[in-house]
Amino acid sequence: MDLFIVNTLSGLTYGMLLFLMASGLSIVFGLMRIINLAHGSFFLFGSYVAYAMISRGMNFWLALLLSTICVTVLALLLEKFLISRFHGNEASQVLLTLGLIFVIGDITLWIWGGDFLSIPVPSILDFSFAISESSFPIYRLFVIAIGIICAVLLWYFETKTKVGMIIRAGVDDMEMVGALGFNIKLIFSAVFLFGAALAAIGGVLSGPILGMYPKMEFEILVNSLVIVLIGGLGSWKGAFIGAILIGIIDSFGKIYLPDVSVLLIFVVMVIVLMFKPTGLFGRVES
Amino acid sequence: MKKSIIVTLLLAVSICALPFVISPFVLFMLTEVLIMAIFAMSLGLIMGFGGLQSLGHSAFFGIGAYTVAVLSQYVTSIYILLPAAIILSGIFALLTGLIAVRNKGIFFLMITLAITQMLFLFFRQSDLWGGADGLGTSVKPNLGFMELVSPLSLFYFAGAFFILSYFVLRLFVNSPLGKGLKGVMENEGRMIALGYNVKKYQIIAYVFAGGLAGLAGGLYIFKTQFASPELFSVHMATTVLIMVFIGGLGTLFGPVIGAGVFIFLQNYISTMTDRWSLIMGLLFIVIVLYNRGGILQLLQIVGKKLMPSKNLLVDKKGATIIELNESGKAK
Repeated sequence: MDLFIVNTLSGLTYGMLLFLMASGLSIVFGLMRIINLAHGSFFLFGSYVAYAMISRGMNFWLALLLSTICVTVLALLLEKFLISRFHGNEASQVLLTLGLIFVIGDITLWIWGGDFLSIPVPSILDFSFAISESSFPIYRLFVIAIGIICAVLLWYFETKTKVGMIIRAGVDDMEMVGALGFNIKLIFSAVFLFGAALAAIGGVLSGPILGMYPKMEFEILVNSLVIVLIGGLGSWKGAFIGAILIGIIDSFGKIYLPDVSVLLIFVVMVIVLMFKPTGLFGRVES
Repeated sequence: MKKSIIVTLLLAVSICALPFVISPFVLFMLTEVLIMAIFAMSLGLIMGFGGLQSLGHSAFFGIGAYTVAVLSQYVTSIYILLPAAIILSGIFALLTGLIAVRNKGIFFLMITLAITQMLFLFFRQSDLWGGADGLGTSVKPNLGFMELVSPLSLFYFAGAFFILSYFVLRLFVNSPLGKGLKGVMENEGRMIALGYNVKKYQIIAYVFAGGLAGLAGGLYIFKTQFASPELFSVHMATTVLIMVFIGGLGTLFGPVIGAGVFIFLQNYISTMTDRWSLIMGLLFIVIVLYNRGGILQLLQIVGKKLMPSKNLLVDKKGATIIELNESGKAK
């Protein structure tokens, strides 16, 4: 029973990290119709920048804030100078972000080298609590809490605020929103930056748990893609459910079926897509 | 048909003549170019003629490579190894194609990416076939009557398969099947309205391209003697995508030029700096930014500038708009 609880919590932790990543991916898709393949690179870049700051003695929380800002600025530049040039040409935008994976990945490799790095757990959260005989680090609970808070904030933002209303309308009919006098380009940029910031927060929070290593972005990206496909593109609710599902499957799969755990995720994806090609909560017809 | 045969014969003659004019090192590199050209052409088929942008094409290459590497421990005859590589990757293409082809555009791209990455992780984690360390073999192409050992014979071996693949692809593209495929890419709705089973066309092309990529993967093992999970990686899938883009999308020969340019650049830049991956990414971004149809189209423009033909009305990008007859009116 202990093992079951600990595994569930670990799965949830991983799921929440993936949720932070996948929700940005999903929202950006819903609005802009592009999959930002460099989203995983934002995730990894965020954690590397935070590592650089923390290893020079900076406070964890300040580093979290600063690296999120750093990634957001990077995303702003990329959006402004590259991606927005292909407004309306989704295929080129996706290919551009594919090229960016290699550029960002190689620059991080250049600066931080190819070793496995990890961020120390902030001292205030550096203890464990006991579940009868097992123990579980409190930091992971904190990550789960952050994920849930983000989900609640997203829900509030989407359903109760005016900006959320505009974005929801944009997912349905972008041209009409533009015709009503809203600045589409500004909304695009804002959503893109918001997604990048979420990915960076996920990246920094994952630093103490998953660590950082070269080509990690592909792993994170593919897991997020699977989540987004299962949950349905353009829906953060789908991303939330999908992330929990994948997190739990990953956590239990690694213990009970270590050889085929990566295939398990895939099998779930195939089954979902067979019965519902748009994903569980997807409204976008594919 | 007649033109296909002439072009193929020209290619064959030039490949036969090449070893007499180039150095052994370049020959070694060209062998790789020929193999990667088969791989790039197969992706070029589904991307340029089917409109299916795949980020998972390395899956078939990897399966072909592993098939040859694993089976070569038991048999050596290429008449078993290469067909096995083609058939296994074709079957995998059929199974995954049935899922992937239901979706279009970005969804297709994402599903193929996810499938390939799963294979990559599986081969890296599992204890079968060397796991993350990869699987080394020592297999020489055994034609039954002789075994090819010298680099020159390996070059001709790859060249023969390259020419065969090119010819078959040309036939495929010019067949009603290929025309139908292109029709689906250009206007799917109309093709459905005309009564075509569009998914069938896409799946046939996908399986065909998968089998061809498997063949390339198999040939690759004869050259490198080493199969690693990296063959399945997104890196590999992107590499071949870049080759297709550099060369020119929507043509058969474009990917071949792309493969050549890419491998030569890679070899020369890698000797100068470790930052090949960075340069490759930037190169790719530049090509996407200035997407004018790749090198092949550039050559066509230059060719038309040098030898302007009065009978053709050509636009700025070098594409023929209409053919004119002698009095200057459209035919």
